[in-house]
Amino acid sequence: MKSAEVRDSRAGRHVRLRLEHRRKRMEKRYRRLLALYPKDHRREHAEEMVGVLLAAAADDARVRAPEPVAWALRFGQHTADSADLIAGAARIRGRMALNRIRRARLFSWTVRDQRWSDALAVVSVVAPLLLLVAALAEFHIPQAVASSITRHPDWRLSAALGLADLPLACGAPAVALLAFLRLRWLAGIGALATAIGQVAAGVFGSIPTFNGYASPAVAFIVLLACTAAAALLLSPGPDRGLALLTREGTALVGAGALILGGFSVGGSAWLGYPSSASSGFGGEVAGLPADLLIAGVLGVVALGCLRAPVSRRVLALLAIPVIPYAVLWQEKLASDLFGPPGAPAIIPSSLPLLYLPPLILACVIIAGTRLSRRRATWRARQMGSTTTPRGPRGAVSA
Amino acid sequence: MQEPTFLILTALAAGAQHGYGIMTDVARISDGRVRLRAGTLYAALDRLKADGLVTSDKEEIVDGRLRRYYRITDEGTGELAAEVRRLRANAAVAASRLGLAGGAA
Repeated sequence: MKSAEVRDSRAGRHVRLRLEHRRKRMEKRYRRLLALYPKDHRREHAEEMVGVLLAAAADDARVRAPEPVAWALRFGQHTADSADLIAGAARIRGRMALNRIRRARLFSWTVRDQRWSDALAVVSVVAPLLLLVAALAEFHIPQAVASSITRHPDWRLSAALGLADLPLACGAPAVALLAFLRLRWLAGIGALATAIGQVAAGVFGSIPTFNGYASPAVAFIVLLACTAAAALLLSPGPDRGLALLTREGTALVGAGALILGGFSVGGSAWLGYPSSASSGFGGEVAGLPADLLIAGVLGVVALGCLRAPVSRRVLALLAIPVIPYAVLWQEKLASDLFGPPGAPAIIPSSLPLLYLPPLILACVIIAGTRLSRRRATWRARQMGSTTTPRGPRGAVSA
Repeated sequence: MQEPTFLILTALAAGAQHGYGIMTDVARISDGRVRLRAGTLYAALDRLKADGLVTSDKEEIVDGRLRRYYRITDEGTGELAAEVRRLRANAAVAASRLGLAGGAA
């Protein structure tokens, strides 16, 4: 009797030791899998998760079944728990990554300063429009339409597009259409792609207007597309821009740009004069180069815009692409006023001349806004306020 | 609201419970149909805590192991009540349509 009790006691102890060994092995495996969880989560929940896993495993172990079946059940449960732990870690890490992205506002960058944000919103309407007008003027479409109406023989629609024309020919209408459809992000990326395509086209230089990077026309299109991209990606977008500019204002800007663009490359054709416009470059209005008229009109418009703070900022932003256009003007004026067609320019265009001033202007704008924001924050702190002066939290500065 | 979330909030609606208690309660509520595992449960609790629907209550040590209790917040109760109303309305429409179609409502 006594030996039977001893035997039972030994068997019981053996079972307990085996269960204890199995439990320890299981705990070790679960802890290894818990290493997949983020540190903070592990610190807070690892102990209780191990407790829950072991309690659930102990529940499963109570199922009465022959040993091979019980082993298969235990193995199945352990595998399912392990897979669930891995999936749980992936879910928590995925959620944390998503929250980090949301906090960083990687997909919703906006400029913090309200006035610059509004100015960029206006530019997000104007710049795609100007890009479209530049493309239309580049391919002589307004002149061709005007010629067909006035039956002037000098301007014809470009018959075939070369490889170097494609970025502007495809990009400009696409950006304008996407901006019109309020697809701000796609329009911004499209504008960026147009700029990159134009730079690439500048290397090939298959047509005279696109002869290399140092062409003012290429620089104008590249910088206009870059300005459009920045405005579309960093502002509330065309919706806000249209609200500020109004539809009538937008139509006026578009029509004005189209007329001036037409004059810049063939003003005579617009007026139906049989003149030297067939030379391909430089129109005349009342005997003077059209560029003078355009410069005068733009100057008057710019002076008119200087009154409103947002308009001043819009002009500052649009000055970025206009700088190479000014180089283009002086080249044309040199030819129109002081010499035969193709006469050397007063200031020959070069890469630093075309790209450095716009870059400096962009840097000045960014530095100025940051400085103004810091000063505003400092003033707010001085006044004992802890609130951010303008704009939503988490937005990036201009 | 996903079913595990709904069942966890339902389990906690009766009172604060610890992790293993929630697991067994969810299995009971769903008649054994839904069996939450630790990974799913704690990922859900982590999300519900971040959303403010659930909060940690008390802690105790049982058999040398930490046991943390969770309870539903007022916001969580509101969310659960709204979900119940939505499910009830959907179920009522489904039942009436089944009745109209001559099915068993």
